[in-house]
Amino acid sequence: MLKYFVSRILLLIPMLLVIGLVVFIGLELAPGDPITAMIPPDQLSSMTLEDIEAMRESLGLNDPMLVRYFRWLFNLIKGDMGYSVVTGTPIASIIQNLLPATIKLTFAALIISTIIGLLFGIVSAIKSNTFIDYISSVLGVIGISMPEFFIGILALLIFAIRLKWFPAQGRTDVGLNALQSLKYLVLPACSLGMVLAAALMRYTRNAMLDVLNKDYVKTARAKGLPEWKVYYKHVFRNSLMPISVLLLLRLPMLIGGSVVIEQVFGYAGVGSRLLAAINGSDYQLVLVIILLLSTVSLLASVLIDMFTALLDPRVRLGGDIGGAK
Amino acid sequence: MATVLASKQKVKKSSLAKRNLQKLLNNKLAVFGLIVVTAMILACIAAPLLTPYDPMKISLSERDLEPSSNHLFGTDKLGRDVFARTLYGGRMSILIGLSGAIGGMLLGVIFGSLCGFFGGTLDAIFVKIAELVSVVPQLLLVLVLSTFLGAGVQNLIYVFMFTGWVATFRLVRGRFFSLREESFVEACRAFGIGNLSIAFKHILPNCLGPVAVQLTLNTAGFILQEAALSFIGLGVPSGVPTWGNIMNAAKEIIVITQSPWLWIPPGIAIALFVLGVNSLGDGMRDVLDPSQL
Repeated sequence: MLKYFVSRILLLIPMLLVIGLVVFIGLELAPGDPITAMIPPDQLSSMTLEDIEAMRESLGLNDPMLVRYFRWLFNLIKGDMGYSVVTGTPIASIIQNLLPATIKLTFAALIISTIIGLLFGIVSAIKSNTFIDYISSVLGVIGISMPEFFIGILALLIFAIRLKWFPAQGRTDVGLNALQSLKYLVLPACSLGMVLAAALMRYTRNAMLDVLNKDYVKTARAKGLPEWKVYYKHVFRNSLMPISVLLLLRLPMLIGGSVVIEQVFGYAGVGSRLLAAINGSDYQLVLVIILLLSTVSLLASVLIDMFTALLDPRVRLGGDIGGAK
Repeated sequence: MATVLASKQKVKKSSLAKRNLQKLLNNKLAVFGLIVVTAMILACIAAPLLTPYDPMKISLSERDLEPSSNHLFGTDKLGRDVFARTLYGGRMSILIGLSGAIGGMLLGVIFGSLCGFFGGTLDAIFVKIAELVSVVPQLLLVLVLSTFLGAGVQNLIYVFMFTGWVATFRLVRGRFFSLREESFVEACRAFGIGNLSIAFKHILPNCLGPVAVQLTLNTAGFILQEAALSFIGLGVPSGVPTWGNIMNAAKEIIVITQSPWLWIPPGIAIALFVLGVNSLGDGMRDVLDPSQL
């Protein structure tokens, strides 16, 4: 088990290196002088051209690309991410303020969608071909067909503007207790999670129905096990496997979706900052944010992978994953 | 659409395709999807017959009108007819989604067949690339690429092709791995048929069912992504009407509350079309492979 975990984590390193390299090349290709992204702008304005050239040499900007890449990467890991060309603030401090908010949003959406998706999926599988199943299947298909931002706008209109249950825009933690700041999270997280919830529901239902037809379920029932025990011990546990595979595939979409949802609700997270940076041609900031979001997505996938391995010994033995098509 | 055409052509040749088409037409879900998708595509193609208005024509005397018999869905801030924009926008949205998905499918089929058939280093490289592409949030990838390639319909299609081949690739590759050990492949070898011919003429046709289902999934996904990208202002340039671009207006609270006709019709159009495509895909999956999840 430990061996599998370690190898999974070690595999992260080359992947992060490649993503980092792609981002770095993007940075190289982006218009603008990299030196402007490294020095605080107020200091930059008082320097002469010779100063800048000397600085360029001393900073090693004339070194070969790979050398510069690794230097950039080490600086990044140390927390020195350079400066936003547009606002002049260090990127690290921007990130420090905004990344937790985005992670909170995506995590909340993940929790909400997992609970709703599993619950409805299980109920419709147990009550398959009844009215409840029919209703939730229809809702599921509609759910995966709606654009996230459309759900977001509808939720904004109904729950924030008409019913006034939640604040319409923004996010703030200042001077609020946990409960009050949670209010800003509810609508964005629910809108973001709805699509995934619908997908999970459909998938859970199918996975459960698939397992229900297996011989060992018949055996369990024939043994005289109570029905709830059959569902919990034999059906649900075995259908968790394909479900977590779906979660793994869908996770990057959730993180991508947060960019759009943050825009709808004016939620101050990395995503809305990213869009502002793209519009302002703040390439350094754009690429750092993209690198960070990709890293978050990669880390989360590894976590789900490990969770899957805990559930199913076949994975860590490198065998065939049942139902993981 | 393409899959329907393809299966129609096959009907003459093989009875299996005929049986499958018959089964597809008996599947309520598939028929529902097919009707919705066909009707919406036809409506978008026939847009000039359905509305007298030009989707781009600005008419400052008719700004922000509510829906009426003159303007079915009202007009926007610049006095453009929203019904006309929704119809013409549909052309662009569907075109982008479908061509992105078809392009991605072709790439996925080609890479998948080659990797699945030959295996080895080529396969290992492509599997790594696929893993990398799939772990980076697709929307971010699209964002980066469209930032550097610039906004534009063509670039968006390229971006979708580049990000959309992975699922098809995995599917085809997986099928190839099991099929290449089958005895009909050995028989082909014994006849002295070339490798490429075996891969593309004899093995590939056995994978096309799931590929067609994946095509519908990708089309639906890309239409949603185009909408999301255009909504945040990074997809298609704002001059060209697409469903997402029309909804771009709903970024302001005042539009959300005061002029719901600006964003509800395109929103419903997206949801309905994607619903149709998804139902068609679900139905096709039921018909082609009842055992698959």
